Amino acid sequence: MPQQAMPPLAMTWLMASLVMVMLPHVPRMPLWILLVYALAALWRLQMLRARLPMPAVAIRLLCGLGGALLVWLRFGTLIGLEPMVAVLLVATGLKLLEAVRLRDGYVLVCLGLFLAITQFLFSQSLPLVLWIMLSSVLLVTALILLNQTPGTRLSYRQPLLALRMLALAVPMMVALFLLFPRIDPLWSLPSRIGQGSTGMSDVLSPGSVSRLARSADVAFRAQFVDEVPSPSERYWRGMVLNRFEGGAWRRTDMRQLPPNEQTVFSPDRLSAAIRYRVIMEPSQQRWLYGLPYAQSNSPGVVASPDNHLLLQEPITGQFAYDVETWLGVRVDQALSPWRRDYEQQLPPGLNPRTRAWVAANGATTPRQFIDRVLAYFRTEPFYYTLEPPPIADEDFVDRFVFDTRRGFCEHYAYAFVVMMRMAGIPARVVGGYLGGEYNPVNNTLIVRQFDAHAWAEVWLAGEGWRRVDPTAAVAPERVSLGLEAALADDPGFLASSPLSAYRFKGIGLINWLRLRYDAVAWRWQAFVVGFDSDRQIRVLQSWFGELRPGWFVMVLFGSALLVLLPLTWWMHRVRRAPSPLATERRFAVIAEQLAQRGMARGPAEPPLRFLKRVRHYLEKNDPLLLELEQAVAALYQTPAQFNSGSVELKVQHSR
Amino acid sequence: MAAVKTPAGTLLFAPLTAPFQRRYQRWLRRRLPPARVITLEQRRLFIFPTRAGFFFMLALLVMLLAAINYQNNMAYGLTFWLAMLFVVAVHFTHGNLLRLTVVAVSARSAFPGQRAEFRLQLRGTQRRGHCGVRLLWPESEAFVDVPPGADVTVNLFLPVTSRGWFVPPRLTIASVYPLGLLRCWSYAQLDMRALVWPKPLTPPSAVITDASSSGAGDANQSGNDDFLGFRDYREGDSLRRVDWRGWAREQPLQTRVLASPQSTHHWLDWAHFPQGDTEQRLSWLCWLALHYDAQGQVYGLRLPTVTIEQGTGPRHLEAVLTALALYGVSDRPRGAL
Repeated sequence: MPQQAMPPLAMTWLMASLVMVMLPHVPRMPLWILLVYALAALWRLQMLRARLPMPAVAIRLLCGLGGALLVWLRFGTLIGLEPMVAVLLVATGLKLLEAVRLRDGYVLVCLGLFLAITQFLFSQSLPLVLWIMLSSVLLVTALILLNQTPGTRLSYRQPLLALRMLALAVPMMVALFLLFPRIDPLWSLPSRIGQGSTGMSDVLSPGSVSRLARSADVAFRAQFVDEVPSPSERYWRGMVLNRFEGGAWRRTDMRQLPPNEQTVFSPDRLSAAIRYRVIMEPSQQRWLYGLPYAQSNSPGVVASPDNHLLLQEPITGQFAYDVETWLGVRVDQALSPWRRDYEQQLPPGLNPRTRAWVAANGATTPRQFIDRVLAYFRTEPFYYTLEPPPIADEDFVDRFVFDTRRGFCEHYAYAFVVMMRMAGIPARVVGGYLGGEYNPVNNTLIVRQFDAHAWAEVWLAGEGWRRVDPTAAVAPERVSLGLEAALADDPGFLASSPLSAYRFKGIGLINWLRLRYDAVAWRWQAFVVGFDSDRQIRVLQSWFGELRPGWFVMVLFGSALLVLLPLTWWMHRVRRAPSPLATERRFAVIAEQLAQRGMARGPAEPPLRFLKRVRHYLEKNDPLLLELEQAVAALYQTPAQFNSGSVELKVQHSR
Repeated sequence: MAAVKTPAGTLLFAPLTAPFQRRYQRWLRRRLPPARVITLEQRRLFIFPTRAGFFFMLALLVMLLAAINYQNNMAYGLTFWLAMLFVVAVHFTHGNLLRLTVVAVSARSAFPGQRAEFRLQLRGTQRRGHCGVRLLWPESEAFVDVPPGADVTVNLFLPVTSRGWFVPPRLTIASVYPLGLLRCWSYAQLDMRALVWPKPLTPPSAVITDASSSGAGDANQSGNDDFLGFRDYREGDSLRRVDWRGWAREQPLQTRVLASPQSTHHWLDWAHFPQGDTEQRLSWLCWLALHYDAQGQVYGLRLPTVTIEQGTGPRHLEAVLTALALYGVSDRPRGAL
């Protein structure tokens, strides 16, 4: 095959579809990379109009190396998902510059498909998938345009053909998706870098929770098998913070616990189990959330000695797990001496005013003291606000409790636990979410970042760990109605989500659509994105009973045949070939047309002789002559050799 | 025998592969017999991935590895979708050529060293038409679309070298449409042939005078100027003598009658050239025929096997040239076909 040039139409189409594919990367990439692509595309367009030459090899090489260097400077490394995508984008832009041959078109299409795959490594949400599907149709259209005869115009036909081919590929794709064994990673590939963790952090300091109230992003969704618990029971327990250090509450690493403290205590269950499935959005953290006290048998989920759930690896993609919860339990009725001591530790010397207040308000039982503190919060002028005055003081509790008295949940939980420990009561801070919007479409609670919350747990003899939420003493509507009701006029609320559909939930139609869409997104996450080997085996077992390896092969081929056979039949439907009679008729029609022009066929004149006779009266390119030649050729199944009458012409060509 | 292009690299192994090559050619001939009208049916079509197709498969493999290593279901989905697109493309590429009909319409005669024109017709027998069809002969190719329900006539020109019948090599009909990832092709041995006239060579000057009949010396007179009058056009009249101006005035087609001196009647006689070999003699006679025709003179041909009475005009010239071309050539020289 000779080297063929790329059709200009295919080139421009390819450029546009590549823009489509890379568009979702825009927020993740430095701006100059997009400029590189835009410049390359503009240059290439000028090349199409022959206004600019192709840059020399040396220049293109320099651009490539320079691009890689800039990427390295920007990310500090080339190993990692973002820098790799950045390099791929630069390479695509530069390839555009030198894409003049037909085969370069195929390279560009494959680069586009790679870019499409990289999009999925960042997100697998429904809108993105639809976007990539649309881009794929455009890229396949580009393939078709590459193979058109020169001069073919763009019409609806080419995209339609691409769409048809891709639509026909869908059933087999679904079969492969269901049946292809989900094997473990063959080797580890670079993951995302510079990706800040989102959601609750495991260090609780003033302001660490209130910053989350600015965002309406979904933290996780939970679908309940039966009834959804009432709002005041929706405490999603995430992490236990029982170590005070550096002015903040932190968690205790499991490995730092004494060996006999590492066992997971199974609580006494006093009520029936509540079952639900949670799908976490990627948080880049290990915490899983569940109503207290939760148990999960999903793979990868571990229970900590503090009775909360966590993962061994940070969550980089959506993660689904099934949970069983018992709202009525007794946890840790007996506390080991080590534990009792550990849960009361406080650095000495801090917060002297609070210490004095605790000593002055001593009570006979822990329960009495808790009530006294909560009553103090309730009666004194404490305010619940997103933007409290900053306190840059070592004695944070003193300043908060006696001076500013304005705070968000972390301020109250922080101060409450400090006061409990001062009084010799084992207490700790618990971080998680409180609340969740109920979606009646699929019986789901949607928990958003602004639902983030911190509360306290106090150990009481005979009762074990008990939840105490000091925020409820200040702003009871936070618990019963949610953050929105408690902070309706606070300007910081949802400040960083100006366009979130959640903001428009007052409009009936939008809210209806929003909840519908959320239910679809749930299904998508639960059944497609979360389709793993366990689910695969379960699905296949429910269809085919016991699984044998042979089944996979048979079902795979069976489904392929199911699609291919009708397709084959449809494409190979026999259309009647022209019969000999039709050939005769064709000749007769042409002869009749010639007769009207004064060249009648003699009675019983053989067609070939008729042709030879008529040829002298007709122009060489007369369409009727061509048709007659074809008709005669079809009539005679003999060698086609008719000497032309235009010998003179030939003579002029010969020497 | 149809010429088959062999890559230079295989020459080294030619002695080893030759028997297989011969066998393969025999098999192809049996499977694809020559015909005037060839419809590309299922059993005539071959299909194989192109280089771009293999590149695409490699890209799919890399995408699959990414899907496995990142455990990414959407990456799996896209990879499978594109892989199945490849399978669908097999059908579409195959279906694009399926039942395309190639008709050998005509072949025009030529002199050696020229290119003979072969006229082929592509006829779509399907509702959806055939796109991006490539017709390939070793030195000539065409790239056409056959719209639904239409016929497309393609003229291909092949260089001819020696006098006699020229049978074109096997025609390759190929297409990579729609995706370019697969190439579907078929071979068609079209039952058509072009007549190659002898190469015109100037005869030795002595021979011209010898060859001309009595009254030599008038050979260079044109005679065209002695206009006598008009008569109705008859088949075989030289187009140069047609009264085109009158025809343009919508008068019936008429031919100018010119006074031709008696002395311009010639015989092209095989016996006049005892000195050359067969091809040379034919070439000289050919040159003379063209020479006399150009001057509008009357001439006849005497070959050992055939005699053509004296005459004039393009049809006469054609008859003379054909006789020269076929001298000593059997009508069916390539019995192998």
